[in-house]
Amino acid sequence: MQFHQPTSIREFIELSSNLSDQFTTLLAGGTDLLPRYERGQALPDHLIDLKKLSDLYHINIKDDSVQIGALTSIQTIQENPLIQFEFTALHMAAHDFAGAQIRHRGTIGGNIVNASPAGDLLPALYAFDAILTLIGPEGERQLPVQEFILGPGKTALKQSEILVSVTLKRNGYKSIFQKVGLRQSMAISVVNLAFVYSQKEDVFDYLKIACGAVAPIVVTLDKLTSTILDSTSKPDDWPLLIEADISPIDDIRATAKYRKQVVINLVKAFLKGQLDA
Amino acid sequence: MLHHPQPHTFQLEVTINGEFVQREIPTHLRLLDFLREDLGLTGSKEVCGEGECGACTVILNGQTVNSCLILAVEVHGAFIITIEGLTDTQELTEMQKSFEDHHAVQCGYCIPGMVLTGEKLLERDPHPTRGEIKYELSGNICRCTGYHKIVDAIEGAADNRG
Repeated sequence: MQFHQPTSIREFIELSSNLSDQFTTLLAGGTDLLPRYERGQALPDHLIDLKKLSDLYHINIKDDSVQIGALTSIQTIQENPLIQFEFTALHMAAHDFAGAQIRHRGTIGGNIVNASPAGDLLPALYAFDAILTLIGPEGERQLPVQEFILGPGKTALKQSEILVSVTLKRNGYKSIFQKVGLRQSMAISVVNLAFVYSQKEDVFDYLKIACGAVAPIVVTLDKLTSTILDSTSKPDDWPLLIEADISPIDDIRATAKYRKQVVINLVKAFLKGQLDA
Repeated sequence: MLHHPQPHTFQLEVTINGEFVQREIPTHLRLLDFLREDLGLTGSKEVCGEGECGACTVILNGQTVNSCLILAVEVHGAFIITIEGLTDTQELTEMQKSFEDHHAVQCGYCIPGMVLTGEKLLERDPHPTRGEIKYELSGNICRCTGYHKIVDAIEGAADNRG
């Protein structure tokens, strides 16, 4: 296995343009990659370590947005005060993320590019409508996270293209993240949910709910939230509206039926809590 | 231990427990195997091999990490502290003494990782609550003690440091 460590995005593009995608793997924090090799997946012929790309480490705060470099660690996201106050769901997801050793090493970019249906940062990024910046041989382009993740482990990344940063609009919305796992830490989520909202008394003027581990990709519960925003739904309708947007499966961690019920219970509890408040 | 049919080598330079080390290593060698097999630093343990248990915890550039999830090539130029390098004297650290005083050790396999995690926690936060200690320890699994005495030991070390 040849090990490469480019020190600039340009060097990365030149290097990876000369290597076949089939025999090449990109390495960020390695917390998802190394266990796969440990379980017997063949090592690639070429491993490109991205950690010397200094342009991928930053949290840039602008008046109307925050830009997070793709190699920013989960721990750094958790500790950032602006993310804690303005993007609370993302902060909470980073806080509940695995254990300290993994948070120190794992990166936001890795969590996105892995495209796991249960990736813990993803519901918050969907609910905040995160925009991803990609750079490749043809230049730079922007994609919403919803269009970037195509399926489990599948993304819109092209040959020699790299995820550079994640941009979040500073809309002043409130948000929370909830996760149900078999234990509190170090457990892959059975269900994870992010709620992003703004309300005046008991009326929502913005509401987005994103839910992970209940479909091949993270889903937003748009059928439910659109009827809540135009005040046409009754609590009795909520379960069916939620079910219409999710398609959970049975796996080693939980049954589809359990996942469905957990999502319904958590969404109901959130909505009732907010509307009664 | 990882294997590759066509091994490539890498000239690694890294500072481990204050000592500058230069070795030619295969690129697919994990940091944990480099420490244990090449350098004989067997304080870092392998249990799960996939980042769940924390028995292989070392301090890399000031942060706790799982050495089973890192290739040795990735730490070129870095500074690493293992349980063997926690102190350069023969004396135990306050944290190690506290583990002893609180009988926090049974089989002992998880303890190097627990001690390193505890040391880094107190470095950042000299007086953590029990809740904060448990949160910090969530990446370190112990199958013997039930954790109470480990949390007691870290709390005790914080008290002793004043």
